[in-house]
Amino acid sequence: MSQMKEKMDVLQGTLALMVLKTLEVLGPLHGYAIARRIEQISGDLLSVNQGTLYPVLLKLEQEGSIASEWGSSENNRKARFYRLTRGGRKQLQAEFRGWEQTAAIMGRFFVLKEEDLK
Amino acid sequence: MRPLRRFLKRLSSWARTQQDEERLRAEIEEHLAMQTAENLRSGLSPTEARRQAVLKFGGVEAMKEDYRAQKGLPFLETLAQDTRHTLRRLRKAPAFTITTVLTLALGIGATTSIFTLVHAVLLKSLPVANPNELYRLGKETRCCYQGGYSQEKEFSLVSYDLYKYLRDNTKGFAELAAFPAFEPLFGVRRAGNSEAAQSYPGEFVSGNYFTMFGIQAYAGRTLTAQDDRPGAPPAAVMSYRLWQQQYGSDPSVIGSVFNLDDKPFTVVGITPPSFFGEALRNTPPDFFLPLNAEPFVEVDADLNKYDTHWLDLIGRIQPGAKPASIEAEMRVELKQWLRSHWGEMSANDRAKFPKQTLYLSPGGAGITSMREQYEHWLQILMMVSGFALLIVCANVANLMLVRGMERRRQVSLSMALGAQASRVVRQPLTESILLSLFGGAAGLAVAFAGTRLILHFAFPSFAGFASVPISASPSMPVLLFAFVTSLLTGVVFGIAPAWMATRVDPIEALRGVSRSSERTGSVPRKTLVVFQAALSLVLLSAAGLLTAALHNLENQDFGFEQDRRIVATMNPRLAGYRTDQLSLLYRRIHDSIASVPGVSSVALCQYAPLSGGAWGSGVWVDGQPPPGPTDDYFAWWDRVTAGYFAVIGNPIIRGRGISEEDTSASRNVAVINEAFARKFFKDEDPIGKHFGREPGASRQFEVVGVAKDSRYVAHNLDKPIGAFFFLPEAQAEYARSNQGSLFLHDIVIFTGPGPGLSTARVREAMASVDPNMPIISIRTLREQVAGQFSQQRLIARLTSFFGVLSLVLASIGLYGVTAYNAGLRVGEIGVRMALGADRGDIVTLVLRGALMLIVLGLLIGLPLTFAAGKVLGSQLYGMNTYNPVVTSVAVLALGLSAMLASLIPAFRASLISPLDALRVE
Repeated sequence: MSQMKEKMDVLQGTLALMVLKTLEVLGPLHGYAIARRIEQISGDLLSVNQGTLYPVLLKLEQEGSIASEWGSSENNRKARFYRLTRGGRKQLQAEFRGWEQTAAIMGRFFVLKEEDLK
Repeated sequence: MRPLRRFLKRLSSWARTQQDEERLRAEIEEHLAMQTAENLRSGLSPTEARRQAVLKFGGVEAMKEDYRAQKGLPFLETLAQDTRHTLRRLRKAPAFTITTVLTLALGIGATTSIFTLVHAVLLKSLPVANPNELYRLGKETRCCYQGGYSQEKEFSLVSYDLYKYLRDNTKGFAELAAFPAFEPLFGVRRAGNSEAAQSYPGEFVSGNYFTMFGIQAYAGRTLTAQDDRPGAPPAAVMSYRLWQQQYGSDPSVIGSVFNLDDKPFTVVGITPPSFFGEALRNTPPDFFLPLNAEPFVEVDADLNKYDTHWLDLIGRIQPGAKPASIEAEMRVELKQWLRSHWGEMSANDRAKFPKQTLYLSPGGAGITSMREQYEHWLQILMMVSGFALLIVCANVANLMLVRGMERRRQVSLSMALGAQASRVVRQPLTESILLSLFGGAAGLAVAFAGTRLILHFAFPSFAGFASVPISASPSMPVLLFAFVTSLLTGVVFGIAPAWMATRVDPIEALRGVSRSSERTGSVPRKTLVVFQAALSLVLLSAAGLLTAALHNLENQDFGFEQDRRIVATMNPRLAGYRTDQLSLLYRRIHDSIASVPGVSSVALCQYAPLSGGAWGSGVWVDGQPPPGPTDDYFAWWDRVTAGYFAVIGNPIIRGRGISEEDTSASRNVAVINEAFARKFFKDEDPIGKHFGREPGASRQFEVVGVAKDSRYVAHNLDKPIGAFFFLPEAQAEYARSNQGSLFLHDIVIFTGPGPGLSTARVREAMASVDPNMPIISIRTLREQVAGQFSQQRLIARLTSFFGVLSLVLASIGLYGVTAYNAGLRVGEIGVRMALGADRGDIVTLVLRGALMLIVLGLLIGLPLTFAAGKVLGSQLYGMNTYNPVVTSVAVLALGLSAMLASLIPAFRASLISPLDALRVE
């Protein structure tokens, strides 16, 4: 139970970051479009369960990182559009820096060879 | 910040669930439509396109669940759900609910009412401004006078002169106020009113007393430094209680003149309703007078005596001042002041000079004499009621377990269908907490009634006087206590059933419950019964010990007779008598009462035995060296009229009692008790020996008789009777001194055989002497003696109540377990009987199981009873803390009621017909 939840949190965390980055680059999008973009870039991470995106969107909206409103899509369908807020932009920057740092550290560790530690 | 924002969002979205569900549904629909459209474009058939889209989206319901979990407050939702569900279930089982709530109400109510007292007496601060800034002089409270220039352990009472010295020189105090350590009664009459004077307690306070406490007058003004100087017009502040109850809140009281002990005082203001002076007392003061008015009222004034220490001090420290440095400063001042009186100090005082010191202690609770008096027994009661509450918990847990058993099938079914374990646990927990909260609410009513009852018995009040300022209605801390107790209780008795619930094997749902191979649940229930038995034994033996101690106290040899004796209490001082009028007054009172039909003889004394008052003095024996600094030369004494010993029934062992032949013209005599003879004369014959009450006056009194030891003072009941001497009233030094000891308070009346004397006749006889003389009380000596033990009686009765309660609860618990287990074994019993067991065998079978539990409980409880005896300690008044009789009675009581509780189910089991029993399977 707890292990499952942990995995989910990691997934949700990365997913949230992807959502924020997508919205930053592409501007306001509806849920389906966000799902498609992430799918294109991340491959199969989201292709299994597109639905998991919606709880993440809700959480981000509750935190004030994104805002949403009804609009109409490219082929004139009613759709809910999400856009990045100022707070979201700041959060993205902060978390991006964190990621970079973590990634850099982890990267260095993975190229470690035995002699480096001697 | 973000979590808070999220929580608020969640809270608001919880409120509009419907709308959001709609939004999510629409969004999902859009998402699927777009995906379908795209799939169509890539050439799939419409049906397949839709199917692929749904597949790709994933489990809609699971996602919705997740979405909802994100959105609202699932915890609150399930809580509301559980509560609704539980309420429904409780409504369906009214008998169970009512029994449980009532049991809990009793347990929680009893604990809460004891806590109300604990809070009021031990924890609460005075109702004044910033009580944490207050500090008082002294570590222990002391009453009432200390003479000379040295005090044992610490200098905690001061004279007016020393007070002024400390007040004017200690910089750390913003205000330092003084007031006597005792509370005199005043005979009060509104000027121009012809009614008899009423007696009310009052106290002298320094002019800054109200300023120091930060107390504003309710009406008029409080006393000021201007009122407290020699020659100031006498001013008084009246209590709100007296103003309201006696004078109907009449505004004209302020500014009018009242005679206190026949001295005129102008009432300048009324205290606020919540203010009751600087100490919690049985009778809070009704008048506050300036210290400098003391010589104006008292015949024997203490104000200007440098070496009479009678004042307590409380001060408010300057903001930021350190109590420790103030204390150090005051120690130096004390030494300086003592040095300035070096010439007047006795040799003993000088020897003790280096050791003289003082201490400051937090004064937010005021003078805490009541706290010290009641602390131990409140602790005992708190412990006893806590034990009773635990037993209540065990009983309710038992009931809950039975309920859990009945629900096993349902629970295993829900588990089999995939219910979360946490949800299954939450249900019995919700039920138990809900029940205990109901119990707590009902318990508040029990607590209110209980507190009133205890207040009535613990703090006896007198007609017309203010009663102890403790309110029975629950205050915020008490409410909080009851709430927390209920919550804890709920958790404590809910844990076992909740734990049991999770240990259900889903497979059991598929089998019949009655066919389950193991009797799960009987171990925790048995443990509870053992625990209850052990605790009940402890409570029972504590109750037994206290009752036995009370019995010993009440039936000890007091040394005087209680039958046919009546004590009338008066106070000639309140009627404004001068000392030179007293001798004649006593003679007239004696003659007037003696002529009442039915009265056989009468005598007057300062204080009758166990009336609550007594005078003490040092003793200098003729022909012995004067006592040194560490010698104990203290004795109690009483002033009595002729014939006193016969009237009170105190036998004279040697010599004679006080008689008519002792007059102001004859030699000064004294009668001593046996303890006095042992203490001061050792093995010598005391008759004819001389002693005195002052240094250098050791030939003051000649001993003419020895009276049997009798109990006069009530505060050291666990100790042997102390040294005591009696002086004849006729030889009092009326001319020489103006001492308070000249005023006799108690009239002892020995009535003839037959019907009791009516108090109205005594009052008539007194009124014929002086209609203005207030009679404070008339009661039999037996009542007066019993009144001394009201506290002990209360604690013994309360503990007995808790003991019996726990015995009943434990028996019910045992009955429940035995009946339940017998029920489970119906099949087995049927087989046994079919194989030839007779009814006796079956009874033994069931009984053995039940009695095993009780024996276990006794084994655990017995060592605990010894510990309980240790805790009771001084409340047993010297009785051995281990009392085999009490313990055996407690064991017997528990054993008998256990026998009774288990015999019924055992007999019922033995009446089962084997055929029926086997058919149950």
